[in-house]
Amino acid sequence: MSATMYKYDDFDHAFVRDRNIEFADQVARRLSGEITEDQFKPLRLMNGLYLQLHAYMLRIAVPYGVLSSRQMRKFAHIARTYDRDFGHFTTRQNLQFNWVKLAEAPKILEELAEVEMHALQTSGNCIRNTTTDQFAGAARDEHSDPRPWAELIRQWSSNHPEFTFLPRKFKIAITGAQKDRAAIRVHDIGLHAKPEGFDVYVGGGMGRTPSLGHCIRTGLPGEKLLSYLEACLRVYNRYGRRDNIYKARIKILVAALGPDEYKRQVEEEWARMDQAKVDAPVAEIDRLKSFFPDPEFKAAAFDRVAYQRAQTADAAFARWIKNNTNPHKRDDHVSVTISLKPVGLPPGDASSAQMDVMADVADAFAYSELRVSHEQNIILPHVHKGDLYALYSQLDAVNLSTANVGKITDMIVCPGLDYCSLANARSIPLAQDISQRFEDAQLSDQIGDLQIKISGCINACGHHHVGHIGILGVDKQGIEFYQILLGGRADEKAALGVITGKGLPAEAVPAAIERVVRLYLDLRTSDSERFIDTLERVGRETFAGALHEPA
Amino acid sequence: MSQPNSTHTPQLVTRDGAVIPDGWTLLADDDTTGADGPFILSFERALRELDGRNGHYGVRVLPADDVRLLEPFLEKITLIEVAFPGYRDGRGYSTARILREDFGYTGIVRAVGDVLRDQLFYMLRCGFDEFVVKDKDPSQAITSAAQRFQTVYQGAADSNRPAWAKRHTLA
Repeated sequence: MSATMYKYDDFDHAFVRDRNIEFADQVARRLSGEITEDQFKPLRLMNGLYLQLHAYMLRIAVPYGVLSSRQMRKFAHIARTYDRDFGHFTTRQNLQFNWVKLAEAPKILEELAEVEMHALQTSGNCIRNTTTDQFAGAARDEHSDPRPWAELIRQWSSNHPEFTFLPRKFKIAITGAQKDRAAIRVHDIGLHAKPEGFDVYVGGGMGRTPSLGHCIRTGLPGEKLLSYLEACLRVYNRYGRRDNIYKARIKILVAALGPDEYKRQVEEEWARMDQAKVDAPVAEIDRLKSFFPDPEFKAAAFDRVAYQRAQTADAAFARWIKNNTNPHKRDDHVSVTISLKPVGLPPGDASSAQMDVMADVADAFAYSELRVSHEQNIILPHVHKGDLYALYSQLDAVNLSTANVGKITDMIVCPGLDYCSLANARSIPLAQDISQRFEDAQLSDQIGDLQIKISGCINACGHHHVGHIGILGVDKQGIEFYQILLGGRADEKAALGVITGKGLPAEAVPAAIERVVRLYLDLRTSDSERFIDTLERVGRETFAGALHEPA
Repeated sequence: MSQPNSTHTPQLVTRDGAVIPDGWTLLADDDTTGADGPFILSFERALRELDGRNGHYGVRVLPADDVRLLEPFLEKITLIEVAFPGYRDGRGYSTARILREDFGYTGIVRAVGDVLRDQLFYMLRCGFDEFVVKDKDPSQAITSAAQRFQTVYQGAADSNRPAWAKRHTLA
């Protein structure tokens, strides 16, 4: 069985092959000393190769987070052969290998090309990997499948001749469901696919100047999507600031012009453009759509009685079902989230053995398909309910059955000072401390949905601005301090969190969060009032006092 | 393939790989006498003076200049130099595409400044036809850039057809 996903044709294969030949030549020149590290830097960055604190890091593109079991097995092989036996799934739905040797990078890219993958445009001031809903094509609340559009954008943005030297990196996200699981309002461009066309949001982002995207267009026909994006990008490329790296994202331009004026310029550009030259024809859009049919769903009758009995017999299984499954468009299927957030281990990491098991269970129970979510978990989008217990048992055997999806220990965490040369503070050890404090399953379930997001510096790779509780690491005269933000969310009611109270040393953070959470449990009107609902009802200030030790 | 920050002497090369002499002179803004042979005006000066001049001129466009302002004068402009003061400043790519695709400008569009072999592929696609390149072998740099990718995914200012166009005429 092979996953229902886009498959390369000769044109796509040729593109990746040409790019890899070029990069192998660039690496050879660097290794021979023909070019210096300074000269090599912009070239390696175009191929996703970063120099981190201790080693090279290779960031591999997982287009809109969709993976086949075969690709997952290739990751396992690369982790075993070229890295320290693990990989790290990122908030851009990509995969990073943190301990790569420069001389081996071309060989890794060659191996990736065998499974239709590459590391292009995972860094640099270009259009990055488009991200989308991890439950695309499966979710019950979906009205339009975003994947064909994400693929259309992937191809259009690959090696774009005009937009490879933008003022800054550029990130696009698409959702096609009622619930926004793709965080479109905090992207440079956010697209909401609807039956009547696209809503286009521009100028969202996090980093130093967080902002929510503005809707500049509704009902944009899909066959005009590329030319409209091209107009958006052209205005940004021409007028985005280039004098200050921290003011170079499109959100700054949109704020400076005002959304109305930015929109006017885009529409003017769009009207003038030869759109037929930019927009792929309907035949191509139909071709892309043809890669994303439903899998051939298992027809096996669903034995509801056995399913209930298994849950009654095994409370841990019942809890996993409750927390780690998402409603599927078919009653006899669900989408399963495999949590990569076990207590006490770095969020988003998976060992080669775990990757192999995820590939195996995808083949056995999930039509060979997996997804990476921006929450850094792995998803099996289509699983027959009758297979859940067997699936759960196999995952449980390799420590992949953590039942905490959407819960307080399912944190988004950047790599922080342990890996990243930009970080001011550590993130992963703090996340581990917090997850240990809320290790108790009963407590975690009692608290319910609560998103903590941690960034080790102001660049906000851990999305702290949109955590229900956000944590930002700062450096205060050589000491790591953490600021707490409350009230952020990245869903369809997107809002930015606000720094609350004074900064705390690392060791004080878990207790402060526990006090906030205990206060929430006291204040909520019912079990179904989530933390974020209570916070919005009673106001942030109510929680400010709880952050600090009572005097 | 790569020789950024090259110390090689800049040479003028055409899109076909021919290294040619540069007959144009950049006129200083305060130079009132003009020059022997064809000369290039700064952008500001072109906007000020081209209305009253007859003949054929070159104009140098800096990254922040809005090339659309030149539209009324294009008949008098036979060369447009698009400046790339730094490798990372990509505004010149938009400038070239606007000239070629919005205005149908058929004169020479020339890339000058920090022009390295790694940019040539993109420049060719955006409609540049001359390059002042710093490279040990500018001619080879151009021909290898032109052949670098069999597949392109976008319509742009060159004659390459995007993958979608090839896919649907083959079918």
